[in-house]
Amino acid sequence: MTFTTNRHLSRRSFLRAAGISLSLPMLEAMRPAIATAANKAALADVPRRMIAIETNMGILPQNFVPKTAGRNYELTPYLEILKDFRNDMTVFSGVSHPEVDGGHQAEMAFLTAAPHPGRGGFKNSISLDQLAAEHIGDRTRFGSLPLQVGAESYGSLSFTRGGVKIPAEPSPSALFARMFVQGTAKEIDTRVEDFRVGRSILDSVNDRAKQLQRDLGARDRERLDQYFSSVRDLEQRLVRAEEWEHLPKPKVTMPAPKDITDKNQLIERVRLMYDMTRLALETDSTRLVTIFVYTFSAVPAIAGVTAETHSLTHHGNRPEKLEELRKIESAQIEALGGLLGGLRSAKEENDTLLDRTMVLYGTCMGNANAHSNTNLPTLLAGGGFKHGQHLAFDTQRNYPLPNLYVSMLQRLGIGTDKFASSTGTMRGLEMV
Amino acid sequence: MSATRTVFIAISLTVATSHPVSATVKDFAAFFDKHCADCHDAETKKGKLDLSALKFEPANAENFERWVKLHDLVQDGEMPPKDKKRPPADDTKHFLDSLSTELSAADRAQQAGEGRALFRRLTRVEYENTLRDLLALPGLQVMDMLPGDGTAHGFDKVGSALDMSHVQLAKYMEAADKALEAAIAWMPHKPEVYSARHYPGAEYDFKIVLTNSDAVTLRNKKHDPWGIPLLGEGEHSKLGLRELEQVGTFPYRGAIGVFRHEDCAFRPRFANFAPVYAGFYKVRLSLWSFWWDKGEVKPSPKMEGGWLKADSSLIGYFDAPSLNSKVTEATVWLESGDYITFNAASLIPIRVSETKGHTKEYQGPGIAIDWMEVEGPIVEQWPPASHKRLFGELPLEPFDTKSGVRPPPRSVVKQSKPGAFPRPLHFQKDEPKLWSVASKQPVEDARRLLADFIKRAFRRPVPGAEVERYIAIFNERITANKSFEEAMRAAYRAVLCSPDFLFLREPRGTLDDWAVAARLSYFLWNTTPDDTLLALAEKGALQQPATLRAQAERMLNDPKAERFITNFLDQWLNLKDIDQTTPDKQLYPDFSPCLQDAMVAETRLFFTEMLKKNLGVQNIITSDFSMLNQKLAEHYGIAGVDGFAETKKVSLTADMHRGGLLTQASVLKVTANGTVTTPVKRGAWVMEKIIGKPIPPPPPDIPAIDPDTRGTTTIREQLDKHRHDPVCASCHSKMDPPGFALESFDVIGGFRTRYRSLGEGDKVDKVGNKRLAVKYKDALPVDCAGALPDGTVFKGIDDLRVALLKNPDQIARNLARQLVIYATGADVSFSDRAEIEKIVGAVRKENYGARSLIHEIVQSPLFLRK
Repeated sequence: MTFTTNRHLSRRSFLRAAGISLSLPMLEAMRPAIATAANKAALADVPRRMIAIETNMGILPQNFVPKTAGRNYELTPYLEILKDFRNDMTVFSGVSHPEVDGGHQAEMAFLTAAPHPGRGGFKNSISLDQLAAEHIGDRTRFGSLPLQVGAESYGSLSFTRGGVKIPAEPSPSALFARMFVQGTAKEIDTRVEDFRVGRSILDSVNDRAKQLQRDLGARDRERLDQYFSSVRDLEQRLVRAEEWEHLPKPKVTMPAPKDITDKNQLIERVRLMYDMTRLALETDSTRLVTIFVYTFSAVPAIAGVTAETHSLTHHGNRPEKLEELRKIESAQIEALGGLLGGLRSAKEENDTLLDRTMVLYGTCMGNANAHSNTNLPTLLAGGGFKHGQHLAFDTQRNYPLPNLYVSMLQRLGIGTDKFASSTGTMRGLEMV
Repeated sequence: MSATRTVFIAISLTVATSHPVSATVKDFAAFFDKHCADCHDAETKKGKLDLSALKFEPANAENFERWVKLHDLVQDGEMPPKDKKRPPADDTKHFLDSLSTELSAADRAQQAGEGRALFRRLTRVEYENTLRDLLALPGLQVMDMLPGDGTAHGFDKVGSALDMSHVQLAKYMEAADKALEAAIAWMPHKPEVYSARHYPGAEYDFKIVLTNSDAVTLRNKKHDPWGIPLLGEGEHSKLGLRELEQVGTFPYRGAIGVFRHEDCAFRPRFANFAPVYAGFYKVRLSLWSFWWDKGEVKPSPKMEGGWLKADSSLIGYFDAPSLNSKVTEATVWLESGDYITFNAASLIPIRVSETKGHTKEYQGPGIAIDWMEVEGPIVEQWPPASHKRLFGELPLEPFDTKSGVRPPPRSVVKQSKPGAFPRPLHFQKDEPKLWSVASKQPVEDARRLLADFIKRAFRRPVPGAEVERYIAIFNERITANKSFEEAMRAAYRAVLCSPDFLFLREPRGTLDDWAVAARLSYFLWNTTPDDTLLALAEKGALQQPATLRAQAERMLNDPKAERFITNFLDQWLNLKDIDQTTPDKQLYPDFSPCLQDAMVAETRLFFTEMLKKNLGVQNIITSDFSMLNQKLAEHYGIAGVDGFAETKKVSLTADMHRGGLLTQASVLKVTANGTVTTPVKRGAWVMEKIIGKPIPPPPPDIPAIDPDTRGTTTIREQLDKHRHDPVCASCHSKMDPPGFALESFDVIGGFRTRYRSLGEGDKVDKVGNKRLAVKYKDALPVDCAGALPDGTVFKGIDDLRVALLKNPDQIARNLARQLVIYATGADVSFSDRAEIEKIVGAVRKENYGARSLIHEIVQSPLFLRK
């Protein structure tokens, strides 16, 4: 079949193009271009980024979780694959989202930690990336990029405040077009028009608030002052959003990638999406990416893998099934290594892109065989933390994973001390 | 004064350089010198409190609070302590009177400037209700689009905690947009009504359950072997879902008998239906119950019940009588794309497919579903009321796409669930596909429509000049070549983001009628004032006592009062936290979400009954009735209550140890952590929420008690230190006792005489269905005796309730305070206490009736002044 060859070639040529044309100059060129008065302040800080990845069928804990804790932990089969990144990452065990259960249903709570996804009347809540986007989303063309691999039409890790799923982009080529292909003048006009309506509404209500101010006492005026600064902040954001519309998109010299339609080419698809992700960060098109990797019915094209991933996860501890599953998960971890390597070789000022990009990798089930949602194998790479250790928590009474999310939000420069059911920041994880 | 408490008061006391000077203040110093100096002078500083260094600076909020605490400790007789020489009554009275005068004066001076309440924005609950009522969109869901609200003094209605940010404002813009989109009609005629019967045996999820052997096919109230035969019997029993479809078994039109329990996190969907149009739908469900005996259908020993939920809401509980199909109809708001799902809520948690022999060997209760019917959307008028609120009687006309005006944007409304019905065509053949509101005099119409809408939205009359602000936005859009509809929409969006709409503005001093209308409405309905209230305000007649009373009556009798009851109880009693903990599955296999729903319903309907019948606040402590459905009655060990759909008023007798809020399972659950109870947490809760004397938080270096579920030590033993260490005892002697009595109730509100354990203890007789595995054991006995600080000894909850009933004033005082905070958005300050006492005095004459209490609050200056 010639299809495979074509796909393979296109990916290779794409990678070559990416490697050559997208390095430091792109980032440096982009940043001054958007440094208008409105956003200078925002750019004064070091840009911080995040990629959050969930693979939805669990990760075999015996191949992932080291037996020993601390800095000198022993490598496990999966971590062996990532040993070059040992000092760039922290491994977590004994962590989970409190009150998040429901087996497979928990996959939609990976970044929200909303309790009881399996219950009737469940309502999801805001995901980590969307909360972050409320604060830093206006600094880039795309506030956030929810992506997915293999989830047909319905998978996404990103949810609004109302718990509404934000559709994730499944197509690398469509993503490429959104990031790098200029829209038509009419499309731009329509969006700019929307921002203008918003701004004229804000002008009007701001004016009205000024009138109201006169009748208020000092304490009441303080409350109204919050309204004024809200209006001012939102106006700035709309101005910035309009600036983005007028700014040309970054130019890349390579052809658009071709989508891989064969769902069994799971690993190839994941790699391609990871490449696009790196491209998105290198061009500072966004600073927040979520990737939902849906492996359910795929029979990944890996030598020795014969069954679909979901049925393999119900392995009943039979060695031959565990071995097939190990092959799939190893290939996924290798792909993750590729992403980390790519980020580490890209430079931004005096840092590597990995130094400024948190990469969260995890899953919703600690043991997919039993559909359990505790003891989630989790790792965090890059982003500016003191890495190099295995933080092992109580496997009986798990440590809240949302605490890691609070640490991540703070690392993004967001002054919050709470996310979902968090009880603080991640114990033992320090910023650089 | 207790030593520990003193620490909390004095911890941030700074060294003062001079004594207070005014005459009264000199009196305070004299009182301290005479009666307190032994312990609290510069040398001894017991509890780190040096009264000789305490300045009197009531303008400083922190200093003011400290003096209020001193006042209360002396007034309550806690200081000087009982074992020390007590000051003569006259001295104490003189001290308290003059301190009280000084503090009240200072407090009033503060309030005179700006009033008690702060200028505040709507809470997100208020915001959603307001938009629903303003736009006549009863099912609108926008609350969850907004960030959560802060709370102060236990409620989210307090201005200081209701912050505003650009995120909040951006979400208001989005929410306004969503609401306006939902309100505006875009078709010239009513949406087509969909009406159909759906059989569970035609639904994928039920078919899966059937082929998994977790359900059975039933016809004529018997097992139907022509549907799905039992394990190993007949050809079909080996076939998979696809083959069964091919041989014509599916779709199956008989009844499906299910055994599953909701804890399996599996709720089969009726996925052949998903509404296209949001709106009210009638949903009918035909259910019955049976006892499955290895293939035979026998009468069910009791009523069973299940629920239907839409993605966005609970449709309701439905009763399933034994071998007798019962059709129940519910009218419910469905959002576009909602799936309806079923759950056999009352059944025990068991997966038949994981038992030996599956359904062939199984014996146990089941629920049979005959069918479900849906009909809707039910639309009374077209264009809908929501559209008329925005565009009055202006006609909907085909939009002239050749006019050069930009057509209004339309998002495509379609069947969003693959394979589901209905699949309507919005427009008839040959009918134009784009309709919009037409106006022949756009500016005049805009002015008229906006003036009317703005008055409702801002809850007060609005001068013409103010309307012009929004006309300007309208004109700007028209000039930009936008349609009338779109220009109006921009103007309405501005109205809904204006501070006049988002904030409750109250004039200083005595409120005007408009502000009173808003207070009443946000108090008793949690929403914007209706036409009647606005009309009374317009006449300037609202504040006449008889009118106020009549209005409060009218509002309490209106179904919208349910919003007040739900929201107030959610916050006062922490019912909103009911889902925060999941009881340990091994210790509490008898817990289920169905039980939890019944718990919350009990408390809400109990309070509703108190208001409806004007029952005394003593009912908070004890009552001779409660509001139960079958699930909760079984949980309480009360026989004779049938059905899950309806919660009924049930008489209680003394031997049940129930009655009042304190023994309600909802309260007992929110005050426990899912695994164990602690008297400390429950006691502190009672002191704060019911008695109204909150206990300060524990010193920071005291660790929480590690729960023991091994059955080796009881919580009483672990807390023993509280009795012996005087520092601990100072607070714990007050807060622990009510908690001790409540030890008779476990984390899900079940009555107990022994603790459950997963270690030591005696085996438990398996209760209910014998297949339900009980893993916990009966361990150490519960000690629920204790003594109150005044020396009253109690053996358990019954005695405690008798003791607490001796002081109904205090119960009324506390409820009055909670309601005043909720109703006015401001804490009860020192100088407000006199008004609270007047309210308490007035309701005392009416046997402390809860409804009377609401009336007294509404008539009180606390309510009628800012």
